[in-house]
Amino acid sequence: MKIDSTQPLEYSTEQNRLNILGFWIFLGAEIMLFATLFTSYFVYENRTGSGPGGADIFEITPVLIETILLLTSSFTIGLAIHAMRIQRTKAMLGFFAITLVLGAAFLGVEIYEFIHYYHVGATLQTSAFTGILLTTLGTHGAHVMFGLFWGIFIFIQIKKQGLTPQTANKSFIFSLYWHFLDVMWIFIFSFIYLKGMM
Amino acid sequence: MRELFPMKQVNGFIFSLLLTVVALSVYFLEMSFQAGLTILTVTAFVQAGVQLIIFMHAGEGEDKKTIYASLYYGIFLALVTVFGSLLAMVWGYL
Repeated sequence: MKIDSTQPLEYSTEQNRLNILGFWIFLGAEIMLFATLFTSYFVYENRTGSGPGGADIFEITPVLIETILLLTSSFTIGLAIHAMRIQRTKAMLGFFAITLVLGAAFLGVEIYEFIHYYHVGATLQTSAFTGILLTTLGTHGAHVMFGLFWGIFIFIQIKKQGLTPQTANKSFIFSLYWHFLDVMWIFIFSFIYLKGMM
Repeated sequence: MRELFPMKQVNGFIFSLLLTVVALSVYFLEMSFQAGLTILTVTAFVQAGVQLIIFMHAGEGEDKKTIYASLYYGIFLALVTVFGSLLAMVWGYL
């Protein structure tokens, strides 16, 4: 395996470069996955039947907390990658851990929110609106949940093996995934919550 | 300590918090639906751009062109799907 030391560690081999490119192409497909969910949401937004509408069930406080948690975690994973590039393994692990804790807190608030929806009678079966709302939020939440476990495993690998071309590459790809989830949340925050409460 | 917080990323974070505050104005201030939606569209897409360029380093590396091509393709299809469906199923067409 040829290691090019003029490049950052995560780009240092041919395989690493291709992994990153491949992951970007995967993110392109993820954009489409969320686009179909948003499409269905916009189409069914007003089909509330006898159930509640968006303005009836959305609460600004948990939504705001979730947004700030995810924005901050996106910032800290960015700092982790920066620390990785200047070979500060300890600082990197610190930022990585903060990111995962913020992600877990996000999920906690989202679970609280789902329980709230259940209590006010907005379930998957209530109406077309609540069905697509919970599907869209749930798909995003499931991505965060997956990212959390993925991140924990990468964290353990770096602790055990240190920063190698492989672990650096995995961390960088994880950071792309995490930023992507933040971008999707911004769209959910803007076009589902804020639009619904306007 | 300082070298762990590059200006570019700190500024990007502050800017993304500012965009969130601007987006929140549609909830806290009185405004028409159209004005609110315009604000949300601008803040959401700028926010996405900040993430892609500052945090995801989309513009670096030799695969830059391919990365942007696949991104633009994804975004193009996403917009066509969303607006095409709205046109056909919600707004009505003649």
